[in-house]
Amino acid sequence: MKFFHSIRWRMQLWHGLLLALVLAGFGFTAWRLQWATQLQHLDQELEQRIAVIASTMRLSAPKGPGPLARKGIPPPPRDGIPPPRRDGIPPPRRTELSPDGNTAAQPSPRELALSARDSNLFAGDSDGAFYYAVWSRNGSELFRSAALPPDEARPERVAGARGSRLHGPLRESFHYTPGGECILVGRNIRGELTEIWRFAWLLAGAGAAVFVVGLAGGWWVSARALRPIGDISAAAANISAGDLTQRIHTADTDSELGQLAQVLNDAFARLQSAFDRQVQFTADASHELRTPVSVVLTQTQTALSRERSAAEYRESLAACQRAAQRMRQLIESLLTLARLDSGEAATAGEPCDLERAANEAAELLRPLAEEKGINLELDLKPACCEGKVEQLTQVVSNLISNAICHNRPGGIVQVKVASEPGAVILSVQDTGLGIASEDLPHIFERFYRADKARSNAAGRAGLGLAITKAIVEAHNGTIEVFSVLGEGSTFTVRLPKLSRPLESSAAPK
Amino acid sequence: MRILIVEDEADLLASLAKALREKGYAVDTAADGEEGLWKAESWDYDAIVLDVMLPRLDGWAILHRLRESQKTPVLMLTARDAARDRVRGLDTGADDYVVKPFDLDELFARLRALIRRAAGQSRNVIEIGTLVIDTAAHRVTRAGHSIALTAREYALVEFLALRRGEVVTRTTLYEHLFDEDDDTLSNLLDVHVSNLRKKLGADIITTHRGQGYCIE
Repeated sequence: MKFFHSIRWRMQLWHGLLLALVLAGFGFTAWRLQWATQLQHLDQELEQRIAVIASTMRLSAPKGPGPLARKGIPPPPRDGIPPPRRDGIPPPRRTELSPDGNTAAQPSPRELALSARDSNLFAGDSDGAFYYAVWSRNGSELFRSAALPPDEARPERVAGARGSRLHGPLRESFHYTPGGECILVGRNIRGELTEIWRFAWLLAGAGAAVFVVGLAGGWWVSARALRPIGDISAAAANISAGDLTQRIHTADTDSELGQLAQVLNDAFARLQSAFDRQVQFTADASHELRTPVSVVLTQTQTALSRERSAAEYRESLAACQRAAQRMRQLIESLLTLARLDSGEAATAGEPCDLERAANEAAELLRPLAEEKGINLELDLKPACCEGKVEQLTQVVSNLISNAICHNRPGGIVQVKVASEPGAVILSVQDTGLGIASEDLPHIFERFYRADKARSNAAGRAGLGLAITKAIVEAHNGTIEVFSVLGEGSTFTVRLPKLSRPLESSAAPK
Repeated sequence: MRILIVEDEADLLASLAKALREKGYAVDTAADGEEGLWKAESWDYDAIVLDVMLPRLDGWAILHRLRESQKTPVLMLTARDAARDRVRGLDTGADDYVVKPFDLDELFARLRALIRRAAGQSRNVIEIGTLVIDTAAHRVTRAGHSIALTAREYALVEFLALRRGEVVTRTTLYEHLFDEDDDTLSNLLDVHVSNLRKKLGADIITTHRGQGYCIE
């Protein structure tokens, strides 16, 4: 059932169960304590009266060895004592042989002669009054109060000679004296019982009220606590439906759910910016393709509109070829980036001689530098790092060709490779126009061009530095740029140094 | 009709200029923003084809500056086709908008429409008595009979027909029919006019001595 899968309902169920257990435990304990206290109090009163009876009996005992004054080992209980009759009529008197051999007449039970003060202790109406009974060692009743209920039997002797018992609504305490007499004092506690049951009902009622309030409070608290979850799932649903601008609105940011919402919002923001970048990237890529495609379309449509001379056809085809080459270059750049993005081009950990890579790239670009009248200066020292030679060569050649293209005529491009503890460093410095400070943070972005419009150099789509950065980062390196407007720029690439020395596998001289 | 093309992609510029010249337009070209603005402000073009992404000065800036002084029809050429780019182009004062890669025929049709609208014509057929000029097909018929004209002759008759009743000076005609690369002799205009009179009838173009030509 869906009902039981709801967190709120489950929380409520556990909460209710726990609350009920606590309330029941608390109520029962309180009730028990109350009852025990009452009984204890009652027992104290009974004990007090037993003491009064005992002392009264001792005072009223005859001189000489009497039933109470006699010391000695109590005789074993003797069988044959007729139990008190149920009808309450005292058993017939009998003469018996006392255990010590004396014959003693069984005295008929009578009331003890209590002092006026003491007899007050046993005063009261028949229901609430204390009563007493005294049995002799052999079980015959010696004394009894008028309030003694019928069918009272002598209690069994217990260890410690004192005891108390509850039968029916009667609470009784008894005491065996050293002489073997049994003194019993009791009272009808119907009133207390009624009281304690009323107390139990009161506790149950209060407990039920607290339970209901607790459940309602729990429901409210869980609703409050779970509300952010509703917000979160609503926002997440909107985002999965495609609206990436959605955010979770949380008032309190300190609670656990608030923090979760914060984390999710951050994740959503990153998702959106990644998505936006992707959209921008696709738009830029298609934009870069539009111009060469336009060239091909207009060239072919013009050429085909009528008969042309061979020279005109050749010219059109050459233009189409240039456009196609530009598209090919763009596609290669895009694929390189895609490969770097997917991590497919991760460095395999081959040792790579950066000095050699830089030298190769510089020699490849020397004709271009000469064509533009730029002096290419090399300062290469041995430096080994881990990585793919072709990729690092591309890094160097991208940086050098940028330095050549953005240089002033007759300028200088300095390429340095050096080794530091823990890192190898490649730096390419030009004496060109420099980069404006507002462009600096963006030059490594894809399709970013400082001059906004297409640069004159055909085929430079604004991906070179993005690719360079992606390669450097795939090699766990860093790239930074320092530029002074009007004086030139310096690109510095730092790559982790190869930990083991370069030996057989690379650097064939 | 004289048209300026401002486009930095050399191959695209060349082929566009060639195609337009073959259609009988006089075409000037500019490869960057500054040159484009200078030319646009120096000459009275019938239409300007303006690329948005240009070195030095982009298409928006040119359009903005141009609109301060002139109302030459401008057709923006761009690789960006987002709606906000189109809106921005039209709001800045562009008259039309073509997204790369485009179809040449569409570009031509849009240019013709721009020129026609600028002259206050809403139809692409101009009728002068029995003479019918179809500006879309670049064809002239008289009483249902097609008349073969050279591209220059057609351009001349269309230019005058679009300004029907106006006396058009020789200088204006010269400016609109020949581009910057034409080193034609000034009497070439008279040759075209006399050829047209032979083909269309002597009464169609009147000469206002000292002022210019006119189609009544």
